[in-house]
Amino acid sequence: MISEKLVEFIHGPVFMALGTRNEKLRPAHTFVVGAIVNQDRETLTCFVSQSRAEKIMGNLEDNGKIALTVGSPSHESYQLKGHYVSLRPTDAKDVAIQEIYRTKLVALMLQYGYPEQIVKPMILGAKYQPAVAITFRVEEIFLQTPGPEAGKKIA
Amino acid sequence: MGVLPDEIKPAMEGVIPSHVVTCSLDGTPNTTVISQVYYVDADHVALSFQFFNKTIKNVRENPHAVAWVTNPESLETWDLELEYDHSETSGPVFDAMDMRIEAIASMTGMTGIFKLKAADIYRVKSAAKNTDERIPLAAIDK
Repeated sequence: MISEKLVEFIHGPVFMALGTRNEKLRPAHTFVVGAIVNQDRETLTCFVSQSRAEKIMGNLEDNGKIALTVGSPSHESYQLKGHYVSLRPTDAKDVAIQEIYRTKLVALMLQYGYPEQIVKPMILGAKYQPAVAITFRVEEIFLQTPGPEAGKKIA
Repeated sequence: MGVLPDEIKPAMEGVIPSHVVTCSLDGTPNTTVISQVYYVDADHVALSFQFFNKTIKNVRENPHAVAWVTNPESLETWDLELEYDHSETSGPVFDAMDMRIEAIASMTGMTGIFKLKAADIYRVKSAAKNTDERIPLAAIDK
């Protein structure tokens, strides 16, 4: 189960990168614009642009293995690993979550002192629609904050 | 002519962090965010080995990796297909990366935590610019 503290961190907002792999163990990367931990606190739904998702659908159907890194500008980061559950088009509520995510991420980066002329185009310029909602079951969580403890399994 | 065009070089200056995905031999993917994908030459890049982490372990048993890098000027992103080749603990690539990492660490409050152990050299198999991942800058409310 994803702890309350980690749920807060993920909803923070945070930067996210999704990893999958194909049947030949070739990895694939996907960027994520917005995610939400579901009420069961065992599954997480993340939003991925349609064009990017098309590149990994085969991987999800072949083996379903997923790794998601979530990290803040403070360098605190975690990696959640698990298995694909489902994929669907995003609905209006998902788009609202994405838009809140984008706005909060800009505000966070500005708090950290990053220049507005870089932060706004970088974050708001990332294409986030059309998108799909990918849900996966989180089975393992690892600390990924840089340092000697990075890689430690915490759940 | 190598795989990496000159126009990708700004994406390898360490301005915007990059994403790297690898996969273990047992088939578990691993995703990480790194400070910099370092340009070595038109066919090779280097990734920093600072801690013995999953990326380091994975590429030594399954050499395939992918990296996602962002040009800080245009904000265009690139997907790189990489194959781990070898590791260097001295020499011009190591020295240049070490200096760069020290600089990034001092600017991000990570001095003493970011420390280069080795420069892992990867062969670049392909570099593809993403053309459908940005909203035109003119459309963003600045």
